Amino acid sequence: MSLSTYILMDFWRNLRNFANSFFIIVLPAVLFLIFGVSTDWNEFPLPSGHGNVSAHTLVGIAVYGAATATTSLAGSAAVELQQGWGRQLALTAMPHSVFILAKSVIALGMAILPVLVINLVGLFTVTEMDTSRWFATAALTVVASLPFALYGLLAGLAFRSDAAVGAASGVLVILGFMGNNFFPLDGILLDIGRFTPMYGVTALARYPLNEGEIPTSGDGIIGTDPLWMILLNVAVWSAVFAVGCYLLRRRSTARR
Amino acid sequence: MNTQRTESRAEYDDAAPAVTVREVIRTFPSGDGGRVRAVDSVNLSFAKGEVTAILGPNGAGKTTLIDMILGLNHPESGSIEVLGTTPKKAAQAGKVGALLQTGGLLLDLTVKETVQIIAALHKNHLPVDEVMATAGLHSIASRTVGKCSGGQQQRLRFALALLPQPELIILDEPTAGMDVAARHEFWDRMRDTAATGTTILFATHYLEEAEQFARRTVLMHSGTVIADGPTDEVRQQAGAAHVTVTWAASPSDIQRLPHVLHHEVRGSTITFRTDHADELARHLLTQTEAHGITVRPASLEEAFMQLTAAQTDKEPTR
Repeated sequence: MSLSTYILMDFWRNLRNFANSFFIIVLPAVLFLIFGVSTDWNEFPLPSGHGNVSAHTLVGIAVYGAATATTSLAGSAAVELQQGWGRQLALTAMPHSVFILAKSVIALGMAILPVLVINLVGLFTVTEMDTSRWFATAALTVVASLPFALYGLLAGLAFRSDAAVGAASGVLVILGFMGNNFFPLDGILLDIGRFTPMYGVTALARYPLNEGEIPTSGDGIIGTDPLWMILLNVAVWSAVFAVGCYLLRRRSTARR
Repeated sequence: MNTQRTESRAEYDDAAPAVTVREVIRTFPSGDGGRVRAVDSVNLSFAKGEVTAILGPNGAGKTTLIDMILGLNHPESGSIEVLGTTPKKAAQAGKVGALLQTGGLLLDLTVKETVQIIAALHKNHLPVDEVMATAGLHSIASRTVGKCSGGQQQRLRFALALLPQPELIILDEPTAGMDVAARHEFWDRMRDTAATGTTILFATHYLEEAEQFARRTVLMHSGTVIADGPTDEVRQQAGAAHVTVTWAASPSDIQRLPHVLHHEVRGSTITFRTDHADELARHLLTQTEAHGITVRPASLEEAFMQLTAAQTDKEPTR
């Protein structure tokens, strides 16, 4: 049995899927070039002093890209299993737990790609960040994408179709907007945004950069999120997605 | 030490059956809140090297039974043994190859990649090229699965079933969606596989496939086995033969005949369906004016309809 062959072939299958790689890698990279590189204010330093505005945008868009990757891969894994590929795999030497492990490696690999690409684009253009904080934000960006694997799984389990998983990935644009990922929110949108699922993970990934401070589109900050509030958002949404997956799973086994 | 010895004995014991199904029951929820018995107290045993057809209409319980033999589903009560071990272990060890009914393929892989990716997950497998040659896939190796016809996808599933060099091959309606030519070609390939001594079990509702390919036929209806034996005998068991004679008979003449299940008068010829062709023929030729006799065995389809009708009559509540 060669698990690495399986992982590499399945990874390559997902990567060459144009819709997949466009939304996971190309679109976020282009968004970053538009919002994080080409505008004038990107070279302004952040109030925290650890980097510039471009760095702030970079992390937000990288989180969006990585979350799209885990959403679509976890979702399509659930759909694959329910559409009979799981039966085919059950007749091989690979146990179900190893399938989950293999898919996790593949999803993580796909999540790392946009993070890598966008960070490199930033590095070679205008983004400035302290080196150690840069690595910390990049690592946290990958971590930030993990709850969205549960979100994708939820969509896959609930609707059992690739179209539904695609729609769930599409919804991430709205969640990203409300999560303060693309450009700085303020007022009522920010107040609502704080309770949406992408806000917490994005604030967490940005934490090494701005320590919870929320910059406005001008210079200055409009508030600071305490770490516990950020972690609470991440924990609550992870739990919501996990419980949803558990309930759907139970529904589908109860039918048998 | 003790268990090890018995295990190795089981493995080399050719007399042991390949599959044993004992008192297996499996139910599913029905729409109205109750439960339907998809497989109801089934007992079956398949010898090594045997080729068996499982026949039955949709909903007879064929796929449920096959899923349990493959370890994809579990009996609620009763037990199943496959090649001296549990269904799950036999499948994971690559002793069982299966051609599953629907789905089971990733549409964006190519044909060759599909064989490669499944090969990577078996402990031991035949060379990918060899399997692809056997299944006739070389000409479409680089085609994506989504662009393959139904017959081509079935050939690919067949290749996947052959990969682990299984001792038992299970086919769930293998020729569904194939045209006549593809079906013939498929069974020719299967015949080669059967010649190597592989145990083959296939579900079908193409009756001629059972007649041509399986020496043994198991007939299922509403989750139970209603007939089981050599395919020829199953046909006879249903009392299925047609006797045609030329005879100007009155209705009372026909009433007096033995072993007649049904008759049809067409001009001067009468066709009888009988459960005992010899007795009826003897009676017709010796006791009546009938002449020009022909006897034709009924098709398995007729046998099947008769047996399932009998089953429904016996238990009208179900």
